[in-house]
Amino acid sequence: MDELLTVFVTESREQLAALEAALLQLEAASGDADTLHAIFRAAHTIKGGAGVIECDYIVAFTHVVENVLDQLRNGDIAVSAELIALLLACGDHIGLLLGEFEIRRVHPTAELQLAGDALLARLQRDARTAPPGLPPAGASSATQPSLGQDMIESECWHISLRFERHVLKNGMDPLSFLHYLGTLGTIVHLETVADAMPPADQMDAEACYLGFEIRFASCADKTTIERVFEFVRDDCTLHILPPDSRLADYIDLLQSLPEDTMRLGEILVRIGALTQAELDDGLLMQQPPMAGAAPPDVVPLGEILVQQQVVQPKLVEAAIIRQARVSDKKTAEARLIRIQADKLDRLIDLVGELVIASASVSLLASRSGRAELLEASSLMMRLVESTRDSALQLRMVQIGETFSRFNRIVRDVSKELGKDIELVITGGETELDKSVVEKIGDPLIHLVRNAIDHGIEPTARRTAAGKPPRGRLELNASHDSGSIVITVSDDGGGLNRDKIVAKATERGLLQPGHNLSEAEIDNLIFEPGFSTADHVSSLSGRGVGMDVVKRNIQSLRGHVDVRSAPGAGTRFSIRLPLTMAIIDGFLVGTGQANYVVPLDMVVECLELSPQTSDNHYLNLRGEVLPFIRLHELFNLPGKRPARENVVVVRTGAQKVGIVVDQLLGEFQTVIKPLGHLFQSLRGIGGSTILGSGEVALILDVPALVAIATRRESREAASTPAT
Amino acid sequence: MDQSTALVRQDPPATFVAAPGVQQFLTFMLNAEAFAVGILNIKEIIEYGQLTGIPLMPAFIRGVINLRGAVVPVIDLSARFGARPTAVARRTCIVIVEMHHQVDDSEVQQDIGILVDSVNEVLEIPAGEIEPAPAFGANIRADFIRGMGKVAGGFVIILDLDRVLSITEMSQIATLAHAGTALAPP
Repeated sequence: MDELLTVFVTESREQLAALEAALLQLEAASGDADTLHAIFRAAHTIKGGAGVIECDYIVAFTHVVENVLDQLRNGDIAVSAELIALLLACGDHIGLLLGEFEIRRVHPTAELQLAGDALLARLQRDARTAPPGLPPAGASSATQPSLGQDMIESECWHISLRFERHVLKNGMDPLSFLHYLGTLGTIVHLETVADAMPPADQMDAEACYLGFEIRFASCADKTTIERVFEFVRDDCTLHILPPDSRLADYIDLLQSLPEDTMRLGEILVRIGALTQAELDDGLLMQQPPMAGAAPPDVVPLGEILVQQQVVQPKLVEAAIIRQARVSDKKTAEARLIRIQADKLDRLIDLVGELVIASASVSLLASRSGRAELLEASSLMMRLVESTRDSALQLRMVQIGETFSRFNRIVRDVSKELGKDIELVITGGETELDKSVVEKIGDPLIHLVRNAIDHGIEPTARRTAAGKPPRGRLELNASHDSGSIVITVSDDGGGLNRDKIVAKATERGLLQPGHNLSEAEIDNLIFEPGFSTADHVSSLSGRGVGMDVVKRNIQSLRGHVDVRSAPGAGTRFSIRLPLTMAIIDGFLVGTGQANYVVPLDMVVECLELSPQTSDNHYLNLRGEVLPFIRLHELFNLPGKRPARENVVVVRTGAQKVGIVVDQLLGEFQTVIKPLGHLFQSLRGIGGSTILGSGEVALILDVPALVAIATRRESREAASTPAT
Repeated sequence: MDQSTALVRQDPPATFVAAPGVQQFLTFMLNAEAFAVGILNIKEIIEYGQLTGIPLMPAFIRGVINLRGAVVPVIDLSARFGARPTAVARRTCIVIVEMHHQVDDSEVQQDIGILVDSVNEVLEIPAGEIEPAPAFGANIRADFIRGMGKVAGGFVIILDLDRVLSITEMSQIATLAHAGTALAPP
């Protein structure tokens, strides 16, 4: 059952996201009927699900929302900006209620309840002030003249329900539907039909063989009753006869059900739907008629219903379209499997171990020098590699979903600030690891809010500067040499470098008189405790922002960089690894230990020619290449060997050499985090286990470059004194 | 993965719970002095081997080892107590202990190896035989000592592993040491 609840919450959240997207679409360009249907469907599915899992407060709230949406869909009320804002707020509220439900609250907190009531009151007011449309469906049914004199005297609905065999396997519990039905009215009488039950030895314990005949007293209308069974609509046969149905309808019903007509008739009599006399009459009427004299009132149920105006033709049509859509969606869903994330993680862990183990096998194979063994192990290596790639592919998700959340954020924030901002999203189909996607959301939100708050100027200032009044914010994702690059760029005023320098000096982050390049000044905003906003707004400006962004991104083994052009805008680019779990590495040896350089950074390797000077740069085909000696940087014990090698790596736009003792070749590595003890360690991104069982450290090249740069600048700063 | 496991903790025997107030301790030698730790934290004891040093870390963080696919940090106890780093000898062992610490309000379990000169035995020390730690004189920080166990006429220092192996404290020291080596002019 717990699993069912989790599924409900996840699915409802998805529906909420769809609802929000459709509402925003509606706001942008007063959407077509499809959008309206989508909105309604989302709310409806949430309500249906909440009904099944018996979460009353969500049902109650969503029900009202759904009613308004229904009116909106039917054109009874007009779409307005206020209504959409209100509906968005309602969507948020449902999200909060789901949160309450997730922590298994029986009732939402009083505060939330109040907020919900306020929303509902506003909704109902909006709905009421709207121009009246068509009269309610039920109103006209009374005017319909009865076709025959044989009306059944009764105020009860008759519901005839047959579940399909697989209903239980689909996770639906018939009992819940009956419980929920009970909330709409009174179940006067219920008869269980177990005729389909096979002999015990043929029975499948997981199948549902039951059907129900229900007398139901309620003032709900037919659609409402039908909606109770919405979730099992495809998994059951449902017949609903309104109160005061004609005898012929009951007889039709009897005929259409799979059970024996006489037996069913008895049941109907027993539950009080029909009297014995009526049944006899009816069955008599259904006897094969005299040649050519077809009884005039034997017509398909749907037609009867339409004739009776129990259901309006429009509704039937809509229902048919909806059903078609639902089944389309079903087939799309059938191609997807929901898997618990930890099962997937376990698989990837195992594949990781497999990669290590097979590295060890191929090491042994190459040592043994036996050709067949080498061949077999290289085949295995290749298979393991493709297994690894497929396993990692399982975790890949498109970033578009994360991006689309920003539509709402941009809308809300720009409204709040009175700015007109257009969000342009590109590259939403770019895939990256799910764990990365989950963790990149918050830093991105921060950057986007900052861009709206500080980056893009108010409309008046934009027009004065000769820019289009509408601000433009771009979110882009793309792949670039083994990593993904996400950029957030705005066409605002750009960073104010004078202000940044002044602030940094004031905060003691910068020594007065210290000259920095423009890029260095821009990157000062990532220093802890830095904020240039003159006034603190609710959105940003508390000075805890950018350094947190940077730290979060670094914890993903990523890097963030900012470029700004005064008056033209600011661009943040975030570079992230595609996956957190496994990388292709280049193994090098220095001193006693082995180190791994991420392969996608390696440009080339060369031997270091004996150096005469102390300088840390070399001539790479006419280019100046600064290098880092791992031996020196890490203060490793022991003497440097006579022959050293240089691994040329590229980080961002920079090319740097790393001087090591030995080059040991390419190696696939599973990243093992070093744990909290080493959280202060810079320059090492993690560790990995080699085929020999030894632990090797993964170099974090950009951090190494930063350490080397800082070290040198300090040395340079301290030398003039001597 | 050729580290042979010298001694793996078995499920405690049934008699373990029998005597209330009696706790079991593993005793080991460090710089010719006897120390003890409660056995409940101890997962296993392995031979010293294949340790990878981590650069730019204080001396007491000796490095990391591969413990059946997991990377486990190894703490040099002698260096942690302010003495010289342990010299590896024939009987040098790594005792793997399971520690719990708080990260962002949730408890995280972490295995840590401690480097000792040699492992002696598992002893039962009744609560009455444990004296409070002396204020000074033991040559290690007083808060590292949980008590002094009386064993065969002598004392063993019972360590408070939560203090000795406090991740928070050790990583703070590492941060300072790291800032010193990496950032300050050499």
